[in-house]
Amino acid sequence: MFVQILFGLSALLTISCVIGVVATRNIMHSCVFLLGTLLGVAGLYATLGADFVAVTQIMVYVGGVVILMLFAVMLTGGKDFVSKAQNLLGLAPTMGNKWTYSLAGLVALVFVLTNVKLLSNIITDAGPKTFGNEMPSTVSQLGHLLVKDHVLAFELSSVLLLGALVGAAIIARPKKKQ
Amino acid sequence: MNQTIVSYLSKYEFYKTLLDLFGGNESLLAFVIYLIAALVVILVCATIGGFGTYAERKISADLQARMGPNRVGPYGLLQVLADGIKMITKEDIMPFAADKFLFYLAPLLALVGVFATLAVVPWSSGFALTDLNVGVFYLIAISSLVGLGIFLGGYASNSKWSMLGGMRGASQIISYEIPVTLSVLAIVLMAGGMSFGTIVGQQKGLPFNWYLFHNPFTFIGFFVYFTGALAETNRAPFDLPEAESELVSGYHTEYTGMRFGFFALAEYIEIFVVCGVAAALFLGGSNLPININIDILPLQFVEIIIFITKTLLLYYVVIWIRWTLPRLRVDQLMSICWKYLTPIAIFNLVGCAIWMVAFNGRSLADLIIGH
Repeated sequence: MFVQILFGLSALLTISCVIGVVATRNIMHSCVFLLGTLLGVAGLYATLGADFVAVTQIMVYVGGVVILMLFAVMLTGGKDFVSKAQNLLGLAPTMGNKWTYSLAGLVALVFVLTNVKLLSNIITDAGPKTFGNEMPSTVSQLGHLLVKDHVLAFELSSVLLLGALVGAAIIARPKKKQ
Repeated sequence: MNQTIVSYLSKYEFYKTLLDLFGGNESLLAFVIYLIAALVVILVCATIGGFGTYAERKISADLQARMGPNRVGPYGLLQVLADGIKMITKEDIMPFAADKFLFYLAPLLALVGVFATLAVVPWSSGFALTDLNVGVFYLIAISSLVGLGIFLGGYASNSKWSMLGGMRGASQIISYEIPVTLSVLAIVLMAGGMSFGTIVGQQKGLPFNWYLFHNPFTFIGFFVYFTGALAETNRAPFDLPEAESELVSGYHTEYTGMRFGFFALAEYIEIFVVCGVAAALFLGGSNLPININIDILPLQFVEIIIFITKTLLLYYVVIWIRWTLPRLRVDQLMSICWKYLTPIAIFNLVGCAIWMVAFNGRSLADLIIGH
């Protein structure tokens, strides 16, 4: 019961903040609403028993990505920055007309229906186990899987991240005076 | 399954009586227990945070041969209450060009981030609110909300000083997260788990069983962690976000009354939390100094007292450092983090891993005394 209520609250936070992200005209506020969305998603993971994924979500998105986005927005002009670019229909990027809205609505509907169809047997099978109070330790299971079954993917992604780190350092390095 | 305060209390007889009182509704009873426990923890920590300001002034007065606050109540102890009343009754000023939404949100984010960390603080072996499997990781992750609050506070005030303070705060907190996380990772590696219960449980007994004295690498790791924690909580000598000689008051320059109070309270509670984490990870946490195998309820309160004593001793050191060392420059701050602390922390992590393999996980004292 307790966990179900928390699940509902997390879902509510996610959805209301998503609406906030697209409804506000201030890009800084958008970023902050995105923060609420990501926290809500972390809450969903936590109530479904994926504690490690939930915390990683907070660590990566709240502690890293949102702060990075806020920095990027602020250093490139903040909320007063208005793009002069236009999309294919000759509209400003944040604008839309009835055609774009109905097209987006159709795409979203198809997407949701496909997902429901794909997940239908999981949804109907969802017993009390999904919402149970007991949360098995996912940390050790994840650790075992990472260094046993998925060790190649693990090592490859670490090489990728190292490459990104070195690349960033090279780009940010001050140019040598000739 | 995570060990929580509810699962701890359910071992005792009176839990069944309580359960009957709630008509057998375990979920409701768990909710009520969590509610009461969370209220107690938050009230106690808010009081500790409030008295942190008093301790700061009194200790700094001692260090500078002054009297410190001594007018309100005995030894000036009620100064906290007087400050609180002053803050609440002060006018709440909103700068004309400020971003209202973010201006209101920022102090709350800082305070929420700190209060959320209190969920996993290991007060004693049974009375931690919840002993998550990912406890340490959760604490590091959720405390990044504080940095976000500082950054948004600086941005929303629409003032140059606040802006500079907020940017310094955010970059400093992001940078110093790396050495802190790496030195915590070394301890996680040795304990074999990320929950505070596992980590504290491995350090039972006399002080040479503490992770501080486990091997030379953890000994260095403690100081790396402590330095990084000072920087993460924006304490001197790393208090650049609020450097009063250059930025008036940094990110909270434009805040008045209780909104400023929220930032101050968040800072003082965060110091308490990072000191508590240092005590739990390196100094044996809430363990009794002797090995006894009885588990009775009064013992839990003794453990709480031990944990809080260790934490407050570290708290004293934090204040002591603030009134002893001068403030660093920004470039010195960054070079300390990236050129010194991070390599040392990586060295410690690798060193701990090698030690665990080479000596089969035995501590230095064990190697000297034992066979």
